[in-house]
Amino acid sequence: MVRAYSQEHVYKHPWERVTAASWRKFADPENKRTLSHILEVDTLNRKLDSNSGKLYTTRAITIHAPGPWFIRRIIGQDICHCVESTVVDANSRSMQLATRNISLQKFIEVEEKIRYDPHPENPTEWTTCKQETSIRIKPLSALASMAEKIEQKCVDRFQQNSAKGREVMERICKYLEAESSGIPI
Amino acid sequence: MGILREKKNTSLATSPCAQLRDAYHNCFNRWYSEKFLKGQWDKEECVSEWQKYRECLSQHLDDKHLSRFLEADGIADLMNPAGSKIPDAAPK
Repeated sequence: MVRAYSQEHVYKHPWERVTAASWRKFADPENKRTLSHILEVDTLNRKLDSNSGKLYTTRAITIHAPGPWFIRRIIGQDICHCVESTVVDANSRSMQLATRNISLQKFIEVEEKIRYDPHPENPTEWTTCKQETSIRIKPLSALASMAEKIEQKCVDRFQQNSAKGREVMERICKYLEAESSGIPI
Repeated sequence: MGILREKKNTSLATSPCAQLRDAYHNCFNRWYSEKFLKGQWDKEECVSEWQKYRECLSQHLDDKHLSRFLEADGIADLMNPAGSKIPDAAPK
């Protein structure tokens, strides 16, 4: 049983601003209220390929994911560790992120891929964001009948959170836009 | 199993590094926008901020799944299709 879905969004901001916002998405204190399910984001590793202009990053993202009580009882915790790996290619102007959970894998596997590219019709001003998410609940015997419902709940939760994520991205883009044009904020 | 954890246990292991983390992330964000995106990617910056932050992480990150990514070659390559589960991910 796997739920997969994809979403697309156009940011009316240049690629440079959108990718800068993406780095700040979880880190800015103001956004922590909106994205309250994100508890911690740490950069674990970073590598710059100075020949090609590619930047590789591995981050740890700790998510608070309170489920139904019986899930918590079985799992014994309601935080989940994810690893996000990112490649930014400054030469070709692309940013790719892939996030996967590394804890609770006995119960659930979530993978999210995001790409930011210049919009084909307006590459200097706009940016497309393509997002693919797949969620798989492991069918534990005791939970098999519930697993499908839980999967749908997870999908709903993810969609709510990615809508919040877009809202935060738009806000940071506006902030960066104001900052770069010297408007006092 | 089966026992709800105390609330205090949800405070996180890397919190002691929060200040060093902010210092590094601020430096990185500036470098990313002002240098990297403008084609000046020949030189890494924020090196001392990074070293202090990493040292703190290596002391406080007690999750083994995470700490292996702190190793020198610990770049996760989730883009690599060989390691990806997306091809099996079609809805059934």
